[in-house]
Amino acid sequence: MGPERSVSRAAAALFALAVLSSPGFGQAETPESQVSQLKAELAATKSELSRTQSALEALERKVDALVAAPATAAAAQEPAPRLDTARIAPVNADNPGISFVIDGQASTNTQGNDGAGFLLATGELFISAPIDPFLRGYASINGTTNEKFNIEEAALVTTALPYNLTVKGGRFMADFGRFPHWHDEALPFVDRPPSIENFIGGESISEGVETSWLAPTDQFIQITLGAYNSVGAARLDDPGAFGTMPGSQRSFSQFSYIVRPQTYFDLTDTLNLELGASWLTIPTNSDRELYGVDVTFRHQPGTSSFYQGTVVGVEWLWNTEQFNNVVVGTDPVTGGDVIGSGRFRRDGGYAYFESFFNRRFSFGGRYDYAQQIFGPADRQRTESAFVTWQPSEFQRLRFQIDNIGITGQDNQRFTLQWTAFIGSHSHGFAAR
Amino acid sequence: MALRLASYPLTLMVSLCLAAPATAALRVVASLPDVADMARQIGGARIEVTTIAEGGQDPHKVPVKPSFVTKLNRADALVVQGLGLEHAYLPALLEVARNSNILPGAPGYIDASLYIHPLEIPDSQSRTQGELHPLGNPHFNLDPTQGKLMARAIAEGLERVDPDGAEVYRAGLASYQKLLDQKIAEWDKLAAPLRGLKAVSYHPDLIYLARHYGIELVGTIETKPGVPATPGHLEELIEQMKRQKATVVIREVAYELPLAQEVAQRTGARVATVSSLTGGLPGTTTYVEFVEANLRALLAAATAKEAS
Repeated sequence: MGPERSVSRAAAALFALAVLSSPGFGQAETPESQVSQLKAELAATKSELSRTQSALEALERKVDALVAAPATAAAAQEPAPRLDTARIAPVNADNPGISFVIDGQASTNTQGNDGAGFLLATGELFISAPIDPFLRGYASINGTTNEKFNIEEAALVTTALPYNLTVKGGRFMADFGRFPHWHDEALPFVDRPPSIENFIGGESISEGVETSWLAPTDQFIQITLGAYNSVGAARLDDPGAFGTMPGSQRSFSQFSYIVRPQTYFDLTDTLNLELGASWLTIPTNSDRELYGVDVTFRHQPGTSSFYQGTVVGVEWLWNTEQFNNVVVGTDPVTGGDVIGSGRFRRDGGYAYFESFFNRRFSFGGRYDYAQQIFGPADRQRTESAFVTWQPSEFQRLRFQIDNIGITGQDNQRFTLQWTAFIGSHSHGFAAR
Repeated sequence: MALRLASYPLTLMVSLCLAAPATAALRVVASLPDVADMARQIGGARIEVTTIAEGGQDPHKVPVKPSFVTKLNRADALVVQGLGLEHAYLPALLEVARNSNILPGAPGYIDASLYIHPLEIPDSQSRTQGELHPLGNPHFNLDPTQGKLMARAIAEGLERVDPDGAEVYRAGLASYQKLLDQKIAEWDKLAAPLRGLKAVSYHPDLIYLARHYGIELVGTIETKPGVPATPGHLEELIEQMKRQKATVVIREVAYELPLAQEVAQRTGARVATVSSLTGGLPGTTTYVEFVEANLRALLAAATAKEAS
């Protein structure tokens, strides 16, 4: 019973007592019966008053408690806000998420003609937004010192297909290997590993369609299948390869196809292993087969305030491809080029580690080995060491030393990279 | 040959799908251990809860693991603390999880901040102010009275996803609220020495806790939210602590200890190590244990100062 109800009942009883005791009321009853009735009413009223007194004391105790902890009680007792199911950051339906990445570099070399210089490695405008409940879109427009202005990506991605399927179409980074589909500014190094540059031609930019399927199991297994005009920026985008212009029609056997399965294992609470395999083929003309294997091992303690973890990654590529009328060697007598044709089987890759400390620092090392894709198998090896400092979530300074060896001649390169992000910038799960 | 090679993994996938065990319990993924424990307390055996982040982790820097993707893909419900606390990892995971039932705004997205009145909603979202949360400070879980509101939102969310379990969730909520009421009364008595205590924290994540216990926070070791301390800022902070007679440096377990110790040593203050999440301190597997451990750490630092 609430205290208000007790008070009103007590008041009613008092009123009844007053009426009963007023002159002329109940004159037809005997004095004995009147006294008896009044005694009963009086007892009931006393009982009500006693309950009301108890309720008042309880209220006083609550008030005392509220006074003792004003913020606590106020926070808990305030009426709940009216919301549907979630607090979601407001989104302007007419404006997509926009960001711009500025990635500047300064470098110097000890050998060769490269000398020293400044470079805008990336000036990337990134735009993304949901298009409707079934589709999202994104675009990446990049300008650099060397490439001026380029639409790197302009892609549509489904978001609501059944059977755990996702379809991506347009121009985008094809899902080959680990680092080939990472944007330059997202890499843990100042440069793309030379072996990836050699076999893929930079980022795995492609125009085509790609579908990926996530197995509906507790074990992470994802398979990607794709068909593209070509994969990679420089070498593979050569329109002369098929006697066609980029984007023009060609036979199905002249497309590039990719199959990539990948999986992941939590070895312990803090150790995990990610495995991927990639296969790229162009059935006719150069009859190319490019195989890749990538292994990423992570130690992520997550609970240390100083040591934050280590990543070890290895990626190796094997390429077999027919080349006609290319330089295959040097004439020992004349010293001139020897022209020939043939199938060249070449391989290369990298291994690296990066350890993270104190929330803002990391350092690491990388070894890269790459053979020429055709001609003499000149070996290029690169040993690198790098250190990164992040003053905040949105800017990063990195210093890298590379020792680059080609056919016995070493060159040391020193690079300072300064990267900053205007707006909300994330390449999401792919750049984990 | 190409097609034959591609068919092997596909066959493996189909086999794994068919072999996947079926369970009757509602599959719930919790973004953080606090909301995970609350969901377990409320849903009991009717739900099966898995957690993404661990207690000792900085909730702003949780690693994005592929194993989380599969959990989210198969989840019936996702419980989040909300107010953008999970922004560093959850959007990236949800983008590839292919489960529209648990996306923000969908019925299976259970937001524990639903009934919270946020503090520190920024007037300006300029990054000159550091790494801000546009919806307000998301560390309300450190205040147990806010925990009651979180539990209510979680129970209602579970009921929304699983109406057949309404009685279980309502009974679970009532029982849990009763437990929290009882513990809050105990904690409030214990916390009497904290009222009026002046302290600094490492990161600005103690505002709800400080309001509850009557602690006056006079600064943070971080220059701005998420921005490391600069030498100039530390000098100002130390001067501020001396001027205001701040006696405790509260260091959250995910942040480095040496700097907190240095500030404490230069000001004659004591260091109290607390956690911003359940599980961050030893022996705190439940939300109730987490709140109590934080309180005892604060009391130890506060009373040690008084005794000295």
